[in-house]
Amino acid sequence: MLRKRNGLKLTAAAAGIAVLLSACGGNNGNNNASPSAASSAPSSGSAGATASSPASGSASASADLKPVELVWYLSESSVPADLPAVQDAVNKIAKEKINATVKLMVVGSGDYNQKMNTVIASGEKLDLMWTANWNFDYVQNQSKGAFLPLDDLLNQYAPDVVKSMPDYVWDATKIDGKIYAVPNYQTVINKEGFVIQKEYIDKYKLDTSTLKKFSDLGKLMETVKKGENAEYVYAMNRDGNFGNLARTYNLEVISGIAYINLNDPAKVVNIYETPELRDYYDTVRDWYQKGYINQDAATLKSKTDMQKAGKAIFGYDNVLKPGGEIEAKVKNGGKDMVYVPLTDAYTGTNTIITTMQAISANSENPERAMMFLNLVNTDKDLFNLLAFGIEGKHYTKNADGSIKLIPDSGYAMADWSLGNVFNGYTIEGKDPNVAELTKKSNEEAKPSPIMGFKFKTDPVSAEIANVNAVSSEYAPGLNTGTIAPDDNLAEFQAKLKEAGADKIIAEVQKQLDEWRAAQGK
Amino acid sequence: MNANIERANAVRTAAPRRRRMPVEQVVINLFFILLSIVVLVPLLLVVSISITDEQSLLASGYHLFPKKIDWLAYEVILKSPGQMLRAYGVTVTVTVVGTIVGLLLTAMIAFSISRRDYRYRRITTLYVFFTMLFSGGLVPFYILVTQYLHLKDTIWALIIPYLLNPFYVLIMKGFLEKLPHEVFESAKIDGSSEWRIFFSMVLPLSTPALATVGLFIAFVYWNDWWLGLLFIDAPNLVPLQLLLYRIMNTMEFLINNIDRVNVAIDLSAFPNLSARMAMAVLAAGPMMLVFPFFQRYFVAGLTVGSVKS
Repeated sequence: MLRKRNGLKLTAAAAGIAVLLSACGGNNGNNNASPSAASSAPSSGSAGATASSPASGSASASADLKPVELVWYLSESSVPADLPAVQDAVNKIAKEKINATVKLMVVGSGDYNQKMNTVIASGEKLDLMWTANWNFDYVQNQSKGAFLPLDDLLNQYAPDVVKSMPDYVWDATKIDGKIYAVPNYQTVINKEGFVIQKEYIDKYKLDTSTLKKFSDLGKLMETVKKGENAEYVYAMNRDGNFGNLARTYNLEVISGIAYINLNDPAKVVNIYETPELRDYYDTVRDWYQKGYINQDAATLKSKTDMQKAGKAIFGYDNVLKPGGEIEAKVKNGGKDMVYVPLTDAYTGTNTIITTMQAISANSENPERAMMFLNLVNTDKDLFNLLAFGIEGKHYTKNADGSIKLIPDSGYAMADWSLGNVFNGYTIEGKDPNVAELTKKSNEEAKPSPIMGFKFKTDPVSAEIANVNAVSSEYAPGLNTGTIAPDDNLAEFQAKLKEAGADKIIAEVQKQLDEWRAAQGK
Repeated sequence: MNANIERANAVRTAAPRRRRMPVEQVVINLFFILLSIVVLVPLLLVVSISITDEQSLLASGYHLFPKKIDWLAYEVILKSPGQMLRAYGVTVTVTVVGTIVGLLLTAMIAFSISRRDYRYRRITTLYVFFTMLFSGGLVPFYILVTQYLHLKDTIWALIIPYLLNPFYVLIMKGFLEKLPHEVFESAKIDGSSEWRIFFSMVLPLSTPALATVGLFIAFVYWNDWWLGLLFIDAPNLVPLQLLLYRIMNTMEFLINNIDRVNVAIDLSAFPNLSARMAMAVLAAGPMMLVFPFFQRYFVAGLTVGSVKS
């Protein structure tokens, strides 16, 4: 009898353990842990899940520095299979120079934002991380307190990095007067203009010098459309092109619907109320009705497939950079592309903060993290190792100093996501002068009058969500010319007002005024 | 068991009726034929795209029957199958271990709370049920797993969180409550221990329920990418679905940003459309083969609880 009762107890105990586990399972959709499970779990009290490995090297050049391990989160298009081998090679250099090792945590770009939010919220060990204005938002996460201010660290440990970029680049990174991230220096300019397939310019003897403004393209498209009897000649997705041609209309975007006219940079305007946008809408409506634009534009997410098939004869881009025509050729199924710029090179906050490295606010070794950033941005061997992998294994070197990537070598990272790209090798087939031209165009570019101003969205986040909801209803149709602005724009504007557009504009204006006062303008 | 026999009887009696095909029978059949088509067409489309020539895809779009058949996508994947095979290994291991252990734990707790002579069955049932409705949230879950259980970058992070699902426990409990309690009593009188009762009597008697719940659990493990996304950084522990999810998700994200951002996003690093579909076919394949073998139990298992003894 006793044995049997014990048996039942045992089953019940097993069931009890199982219950705890079920708490881990939680509901199937969210996979969340319940607090009961958290409290009953053995607590080790350690803060970091990944303990730093003790130094294994013997004598090092920097004997006075104690060995540390830095954790660096990066966003890449894929996680390279050979990452551990490259990490070992990186650590060899870093160990020798600053007695530090680095753990490279590569996350796919699509998952990066979510992953970083979790990592930061959980207080996991983290020293360096990639940030930008289009993924894992720089301003938003700074306001959450995720980053450390870097001004002093930069001056003390990385003076060469400070000098390697023009002052306006640093201005662009400032939030409330402080630098919170080091830009990965690359093209920081934008230049807007048409991208046209060369084949058709030659065939129809198109005179691109007549193109002075956006609507001028109509005449050229008419010729090609008639001559080729093509289904469409201008490739567009549901975003339309206004986002790429603000500068063509002498406007600059601040955030969402808030723009400034460069003739009066102190005044914030609602873009949907401007005559410039109306002009764009009328132009694309005309083109759409004449059949220049692909008919499915309003529902199309991406035009890359049209480009790949070589069907995008005309297009508009805001990143006409030195050497970009070669990249455009690859994108457009191997067709030669010609740039017809409509604006000068310009630069603004949004063209600069597209790729940066920040130091975590809870980093245990911020000094060493900055030393490491300094190395990445100044040590060419280290940078090339990170960007291209190990020589002989992932790339081979040519006699002229350029390199040839070995296909499917198991290592590929985007050089612009790591550090100063001007320290990198030239890849075979690319113009070696591009780097110099890019640097020059960076230095000559006209900085925006509101360089460094960043709109903090928190006070009007509800209005922004409402405005976005209204926009997603009307904007794709108007952006692509699918619906007529005469019938719909007034209604759209009224709904935007209802959604709180005026409140957003007022808030941006308030922040801009404060920022200008602080700048002494 | 009862259910099985009843079902067999039902089929036998239905057989002669089918020949006459009354109107309602036609309507019902038509409805299910349409439903099957709706379910099958996307699947066939995926298979078709995976064997279509990439250029013809760009030029003429998707077709149910490929315009130009091309096995290149499979050739490319199978040429360097290392990553895919490793991901397969991880997923198969996780699914097998997770299903066996998960099934055992589910059955154990369900048996305990189905026993009328277990004094705390109400409170235990409530405790299980409670986790169906309330949870601690993502961040506490993450902190628990990474900082208290130290499971980050281990295969256990993919297994342990799904071991017990309260919903499956309740399904199992519903089945076990229908088993005659007297049988266990008499076994006890004959000197059988609780363990013996559980393993030699309860488990064999509940095969249909075990098969059903087991299949559910196996699906959860097989289809999961979420735990991998949260807890796995080591490339050799990436499960199959995460491998696919990462590629698709990152590609979509980059395509949405490619026109706006002045960084050189290189999409050539991604497999093309037919290669992605080929990966989807390779990933879904085994589960589609497993399903028919379980189906027999599946129907019986789902009707569990509706039969009165």
